[in-house]
Amino acid sequence: MSTGTIYHHLDTLSSLIEQQDDKKYYLSELGLHAYTSLIDNKDNIITPEFSKKEFNSPILKGLMFLTPKTYINYENNRTYSVIIFSILIALVGSIFCGLNGLFPFFLFFGESLTIFTTVDLIIQFLLALFFIGNILLYFLINEGLSRSIYKKRENTLKFLATFAIIFFPLDIYLVLRFILTSTGSLSFSYIRVLDNVLLILFQVWSLWLLTYNLSINKKLKIENSLIISLLVHYGGFSIMFLISI
Amino acid sequence: MNIKRYLDFRLLGLTGSGLLILSQFLPWFSNHSLLDIYIISTSVAIEDSFLYLFPLICGIICLVGAIVILYNLDYKINSVIINFIGLGFFLIFIIEIIPRELLYIPYAEIGFYFSVVGSILIFFEILNILITKQE
Repeated sequence: MSTGTIYHHLDTLSSLIEQQDDKKYYLSELGLHAYTSLIDNKDNIITPEFSKKEFNSPILKGLMFLTPKTYINYENNRTYSVIIFSILIALVGSIFCGLNGLFPFFLFFGESLTIFTTVDLIIQFLLALFFIGNILLYFLINEGLSRSIYKKRENTLKFLATFAIIFFPLDIYLVLRFILTSTGSLSFSYIRVLDNVLLILFQVWSLWLLTYNLSINKKLKIENSLIISLLVHYGGFSIMFLISI
Repeated sequence: MNIKRYLDFRLLGLTGSGLLILSQFLPWFSNHSLLDIYIISTSVAIEDSFLYLFPLICGIICLVGAIVILYNLDYKINSVIINFIGLGFFLIFIIEIIPRELLYIPYAEIGFYFSVVGSILIFFEILNILITKQE
């Protein structure tokens, strides 16, 4: 290796190493911290090899394209804009949830109330409130699981601030469903099938956003984030199923 | 005894999706398969007849997910996402159909049980993929 290359690397590592009196390079205090942090979190760090292979596939490329990365993994100076964005998502979702007369439960929607030809205004308001409550409940369960299973207690506020972003795909679904309902298209069986397929696809998108959010803000490995998403999603399904019975 | 030595747990997905596909052609209620019910409900224009095809669609999608992971363990996240989509179809089917047919569930036939076991196997396949550490 040429001297120039060595100096280039030493320059890159300048904040992590320092030259001492014997002219040898040693880890600085920060360098030592970085080293111990890497050793302590060896199991939780995604290796670049894994990331490169997996994330170059069309499915994950597509999902990453649909992920609002700058909002989930935000800098501290953008906190307010992220919170406003999250609140906006929660509000839009709650309004359309009420208008559709759907009962929200995690990433599912119960249709039992739509049997009424006109959904009462008070019921619509209650359903809108349920949507907000659902976001908070869903957050608490995810936070609780990442704390109890993986002992991840950090970034709770950051996780909360970005949590409503997970519901962004479901907002789109609710808007689409409202359009279908108000145009009377939902009474056609083919459109109802399309509605179901849309729900599945938007749910998977939401699950991906949850996984991404967990891995960024709770510093979990992507597999562990997926395990939490999976447990909460299918746990929610089981409860939803029992309610519908 | 180390079961993993003798059994590749990635076969869970293959078995689960196989059972789901098979359940479409086995009797569910009154000796009718889901395919029969689909054909009957389509012919009399009853709504949501397409829902009766969802277990088959789920099985096919999850089969793709199982093949992806068997082909290359590096694509575990892809496989999980595909399985998520597949199971989504089954969940919608269960939520929509089972409450309707609740009274007939005690008289359900082999196809129903095949589909339930298949979906549970796929669930464990996803968990297995996620907890498997790469060599």
